[in-house]
Amino acid sequence: MSAQPVPPQDSAAHDVAAASAPERNVVTEAPAGEVVLKITDLCVRFPSDEGPVNAVQDLTYEARLGRTLAIVGESGSGKSVSSMAVLGLHNPKRSTITGSILLDGNEIVGADESLLRRLRSNTAAMIFQDPLSALHPFYKVGSQIAEAYLAHNSVSKDIAAKRAVEMLELVGIPNPARRAKQYPHEFSGGMRQRAMIALGLVNNPKLLIADEPTTALDVTVQAQILDLVKDLQREFGSAVILITHDLGVVAEVSDDILVMYAGRAVERGLAKEVLARPQHPYTHALLQSLPSASEDSDQLQTIKGSPPSLVHLPSGCSFHPRCMVKDRVPGDPCATLLPELRVSSPGRQIRCHLTNPESVLDQEVVS
Amino acid sequence: MTANPGSASAPLLEVEHLVKYFAVREVQGLTMVRNTVKAVDDVTFTLAQGETLGLVGESGCGKSTVSRCLTRLETPTSGAIRYKGRDIATLPEKQLRPLRREIQMIFQDPYSSLNPRQTVGAILSTPLRVHGLAKGKEKARSQELLELVGLNPEHINRYPSEFSGGQRQRIGIARALAVEPKLIIADEPVSALDVSVQAQVMNLLSRLRSELGLSFIFIAHDLGVIRHFCDRVAVMYLGKIVELGNKQHIYGTPQHPYTQALLSAAPDINVVRGIPPKERIRLVGDPPSPISPPSGCRFRTRCWKAQEICATQEPPLEDKPGGGDDDVPGTGDEHVIACHFPEIKSTLVAEVTR
Repeated sequence: MSAQPVPPQDSAAHDVAAASAPERNVVTEAPAGEVVLKITDLCVRFPSDEGPVNAVQDLTYEARLGRTLAIVGESGSGKSVSSMAVLGLHNPKRSTITGSILLDGNEIVGADESLLRRLRSNTAAMIFQDPLSALHPFYKVGSQIAEAYLAHNSVSKDIAAKRAVEMLELVGIPNPARRAKQYPHEFSGGMRQRAMIALGLVNNPKLLIADEPTTALDVTVQAQILDLVKDLQREFGSAVILITHDLGVVAEVSDDILVMYAGRAVERGLAKEVLARPQHPYTHALLQSLPSASEDSDQLQTIKGSPPSLVHLPSGCSFHPRCMVKDRVPGDPCATLLPELRVSSPGRQIRCHLTNPESVLDQEVVS
Repeated sequence: MTANPGSASAPLLEVEHLVKYFAVREVQGLTMVRNTVKAVDDVTFTLAQGETLGLVGESGCGKSTVSRCLTRLETPTSGAIRYKGRDIATLPEKQLRPLRREIQMIFQDPYSSLNPRQTVGAILSTPLRVHGLAKGKEKARSQELLELVGLNPEHINRYPSEFSGGQRQRIGIARALAVEPKLIIADEPVSALDVSVQAQVMNLLSRLRSELGLSFIFIAHDLGVIRHFCDRVAVMYLGKIVELGNKQHIYGTPQHPYTQALLSAAPDINVVRGIPPKERIRLVGDPPSPISPPSGCRFRTRCWKAQEICATQEPPLEDKPGGGDDDVPGTGDEHVIACHFPEIKSTLVAEVTR
């Protein structure tokens, strides 16, 4: 990792990790908002019987106040593993984590439990995919939210209970005072996810990580929850990291996007631009393979093969065995040389050897 | 794409007034209460030879229960399921056996639907043996099936755990095809798969459909997948069909407010590409419980058009005049809606100009 990639929008907030990196690209559009989370060269490895599982490698990104960053990828791409590391949720005995995670100025990698405990919920909170298993079944919803508030604020139990009801009201739960006294099983799926969001936001964290928050929900309820997340972000001004495999969800709510494949970031940029004109062959193929509800299609474009094992990653670019344009790269480096994440156009980074990705991928559509 | 849905031949499958209730016991306070879950409540549709009908709706709408009734994994509470004119709704197991060869199912979860202790060869030859097919040539036939679904025939002695999710789903498809069925019931066959693998399996199913002349009941919650694969679509809500028509009707001129809300809520790839729809509909609340569905129209509790009549009278599933689609009843091309106040909205999906 000699040449360190620089995030495209790195202007205002300079911190320790960025200061050592060479400024390679000029900032085109400086987004408002301070950097809450800065991840540099993050690697997460788990031991297994077959050898180390390289779940996340060389990951660098940051999250800013008031912006939503979507991390997109298939199962096993490292999107959840990387964000769980932000809250220090990996067991240090069963994982090897290197690199740097700066959460509001605090280094998370190697941090002790007391610091993590102080930061969790207060600075960064997480919403999980399945709210039924994330909420405690034996405690009333209201008291679970109040408990999280009490842990970080020296207030009376009554005030904490009031705060819990306020939060339930804020996330659009009708009759919040009565609902606060109910157990999670008495809530419907959508209501549970709202309660989860109330629990996540009770301490007004600067960063909210939502890990597949709508995957377990029906589409009409999913639309409500996405609207709620958008509204609350506007109100609280926090940074949101949205982890999802659904590109439609990304288009609905995200400002920035990070596409991951086999543990590495392969494309990064503004969500609108990346989705409209993807530059990495993987992102491009993923978008091509989605059937649409608004137009008829005869044959779907496919990506051959399936995602690689994280124990035995392919040599060179991890995507090369499935790539449809690898023979368009002069010199044939794809199978042997791992491409760096590099700036390909203003505000955009890709991990690919193609020098002119857009024109190559445009031809791919026609053929 | 496939056979003309308007063909005059007798339908392959006719489902009439299908009802499936489940008895449940629930604790309420200190007492145990017996309740009835009305999972499927009066569902009627037909399927022509070579046609694909999509069933779409949210969880709990009864689409999976319909599919389990069609394959007689469940016995319907009442109603008729006529396959090639013969009512199979209450046939005893012995008489059902030969029909099981003609109606096969593909399941959602490629992990739990294959026996982990059987080799692929054993998985594929079991249905052959049960139905007395390809006697003495089971292995050759199994390898032929593997090749048909795009797997390496040499992998016949491998176990399911040695395959990826997409490959396992191909094995599940090969198993369904082993007995040369006429009708395939596919219950969410691609929703457990990763996006990049989903398209492969969809294309495989399309190819098999045209090569083998199969008819499909295709269940999915993804409206894009349904549009891609199906000729006609039935939209279900709380155990009932609320709108049924060919896909041009359902996607182009939807009339039931629930269909419209569903289309509006689904994040679509063209929104992704930066072509947003002109109008959006957001529903409030969650679907009610199928134990005590609302009176009258079941959608009225979430409907923005609901009036008094909606609570008192259940709207029948019927053709609505002025729909703009000139459909002739009985041709299998009708567009029927169960709503007191239907209204065409064609502004909900992105307008794609190419």
